[in-house]
Amino acid sequence: MRVNAYTTLDIVDATIRTADDEATVVGVANATSARENPEHVQLRFEADDQPDGVARHVDELELVPEQARDLAAALETHADTVEAAQADDADD
Amino acid sequence: MTTDVEDWKDDIYGTDIREHIERFAEDGWQSIPAEERDAWFERFKWYGLYHQRAGQESYFMMRIGTPNGVLEPGQLRVVGEVAKEYATGPVDNPEFGDSWADFTTRQSIQLHWIKVEDIVEVWDALESAGLSTVQACGDSWRNIVGCPVAGKDEHEHVDALETVHEFQREFKENDRYKNMPRKWKVAVTGCVEGCGQGEINDLAFDPATKEGVKGYNVRVGGGLARNEPRLARDIDVFVPHEKAAKVADGMSALFEAYGNREDRYSARIKFLVDEWGAEKVRRVLQDEFVDFELQSAGEGFRESYSYNSGRENDGHDDHVGVHPQADGKNYIGLNVLVGRMGTEDVLELADLADEYGSGEVRLTQRQNVIVTDVPDENLDDLLAADLLVDYEPDPSPFMRGSIACTGTEFCSLSIVETKNRMVRYARHLRDTVSLPDEVEDFHVHLSGCTASCAQPQIADVSLRGMKTRKDGEPVEAFDLGLGGGLGENPRFADWVGERIPADEVPGAIGNIVETYETEREDTETFRDYIERQDEDALEDLVEPEETSYEDPMMHNTKRTWYPYAEDDDMASSPAPTDRNDVPLDQGGDDAAPADD
Repeated sequence: MRVNAYTTLDIVDATIRTADDEATVVGVANATSARENPEHVQLRFEADDQPDGVARHVDELELVPEQARDLAAALETHADTVEAAQADDADD
Repeated sequence: MTTDVEDWKDDIYGTDIREHIERFAEDGWQSIPAEERDAWFERFKWYGLYHQRAGQESYFMMRIGTPNGVLEPGQLRVVGEVAKEYATGPVDNPEFGDSWADFTTRQSIQLHWIKVEDIVEVWDALESAGLSTVQACGDSWRNIVGCPVAGKDEHEHVDALETVHEFQREFKENDRYKNMPRKWKVAVTGCVEGCGQGEINDLAFDPATKEGVKGYNVRVGGGLARNEPRLARDIDVFVPHEKAAKVADGMSALFEAYGNREDRYSARIKFLVDEWGAEKVRRVLQDEFVDFELQSAGEGFRESYSYNSGRENDGHDDHVGVHPQADGKNYIGLNVLVGRMGTEDVLELADLADEYGSGEVRLTQRQNVIVTDVPDENLDDLLAADLLVDYEPDPSPFMRGSIACTGTEFCSLSIVETKNRMVRYARHLRDTVSLPDEVEDFHVHLSGCTASCAQPQIADVSLRGMKTRKDGEPVEAFDLGLGGGLGENPRFADWVGERIPADEVPGAIGNIVETYETEREDTETFRDYIERQDEDALEDLVEPEETSYEDPMMHNTKRTWYPYAEDDDMASSPAPTDRNDVPLDQGGDDAAPADD
C-alpha cells in the first residue's frame, strides 16, 4: 500500500491467524473511497509480516455506505467501552 | 468518466491560468474563494506553485525550472535575491536560517513560504533574468533533466544540451502539450556515463550510434512513485540527433491521446507501457505520431554507465570534485548537503562563479552544484574560498551521498522529518562510521513517503518514511532498503528492514557498513557486496540500535504546523497570513490537495 500523510493508520497492531499458525504483527490501515465517482468505501489493511506460508498481501473490504456507517458506529461504541474500562482501571 | 482534475484543467489550464494568479496576487489570499481552492491550487501547479501543507495555509512552494540544471551567468544571483526577499516564513529553520534555495533531484530550484501577493513581483524578477516557473509542476512537461555538464563534458557522445534547448523551445515555452494526462518527465543524456538517469523518467533519450550517425536510443515508462517503480522500457528506436524533437513530439502526443484520464493513480505512462508492452508503444508511435520511418535501436553505451551505479569503474558516480572540461577549462562540483543552501551562501556562490568561472552554475540530480568554466589559473583561489568549507569539493562519502526530499517541514504527503534529519544522519555517520579508504561514494537517499521524491530505490541505502512504536510511544521511523543503483544493470533496492525507529537508523547503517568492511572481497563495492547476499543474509544485515546519535524529532512532525516552531501545535499556526506574515482573522482548513 502507499503510505503517506493521508493514510488513516500508518501503524496498527494486528494478529493474523491461519489454521496452524498465528502472528502478532503491525501493519497499515486505510479507509478511503475513490476520488472520482466512488461506488463504495474501501477499508484496506496490509501487514508488515505474515505467518509462514502466507504471501504478503493487502486485504480490502468494499463497504456500501450503510455498512461503513454500521462499522463506524460499532467502532465508536467499542472505543467508548474500552475507554470506560481504562478509566475504571485508572480509578482502582 | 473524467476526474475533477480533468474538469478543472478543461476549464482553465496552461498559460490561461496566469491572469487569474495575477488577479489573486492583486487582491490577496482571501480573494481565492474557499470552495474553489482545490481547483485553483491544482491549476497553480502548472506555473510552478504548490500550496504548502495543512497548518501553512496561504504559503506556497515555488519551483523554478532550470533546463538541464543550467543557470546562465547572473541567474543564480537573482534566485538568491528573490529567495532572500520573498522566501521567508514566520519561523526560521534551525539549520538553514530564515531563507534558502533547495536544489532538487530534477535539477530545479524550490523556494518556500512564497505569498500569493508577491508572486507577480517574484515572476518579474525571475523572468527579467530569463528564469521561468512555467510547467514546473502539474500535468505538464516537467523540467528536462540530463547530464549536468552537457556541452562541456569530455565524455560526451552527442550534444545533449542542444537537444534540451530544442525541447525547451518546442514543448515548454509554448502551450502545445499544456494538458497532459499526468506529469511528463523527460531525460536527455549525451554523455557515455548515464548522468541523465533516463531509466527513471517517462521518456528517455540515451546516447547511441546507428550506421555511423550519432543520436539517441529511446526508452519509455520509467518512474519511482506509488510503490510501483519501473525502469524505462527499451522501445527499439534510434533517432538521429537532429530528429530527437520529432520523436519527443510523437511520444508526447501518444501519451496525450492514450494516457489514462480516468484514474490519476494509474495515469503515468509507465502503466500504459505495462498494459501495451514496448512493441505496441513503438507500433502506435510509428503508425500515428511520427511521419518518418523509425529506425531500430542503435549501439548504445550502457556498459560504460557509471553515474549512481555503485560499481567499481573509471567513470563518474557523481560530479563532485574538480574535473576537466573538453575545452581545457575545469568544472568544480560542490557538495550541497540535501540540496539546501542558505541565501547568503547562494549569493556568495554566484560571486565565486563570476570571479573564477564564467558566472554559470549548474545543478545535478544528486542535489549538488557545479561551477563551470574555471581556468586552471583560477582553480587554487576558488578551492581556497571560505564557502567551500561547507560546500566541499571532496566531502566524506556520507555527506556526498546524501539526498533527501522536502518532508513534513512543508509537504502534505510526507509522514516524517527529512532534510534536517538527513543532515544530522550524514554528520553523525561522517564522524562515527568508517568506510574502506578507497570508497568515495556511499549513497543514502531519504524519502518521507512512498512518493519517492528523493529517489530512494536507487541508492546504496534506501530510507522511506514510516511509523513505529518505541517504548509504547508512536515515533517516526524508516523502512530500509539495500542494493539499488543505476549503471549498466539498473536495479531497485530490496526493502529488507521495516519500521526502524529514526534514532536507530544511524546505528543500523553503521552496523551494515561494519559487516561490509569485514566481509567484502578485495575492493568489492557496497552494491556488489549486497548483490551477492541472499534474502536472509540481507535481512540479517539490518541491526538497528541506539548509538550516540540523538534525534529531536521523534514525535509526529506531520501533526505540527511547523516542526521547528517553538510552539509547534497545529492550533498555534499563524496561517493563513497576509503578505507580511501577519495572521488573518479567519482560520479554516485549506489543506493542499494531494498531488498523488
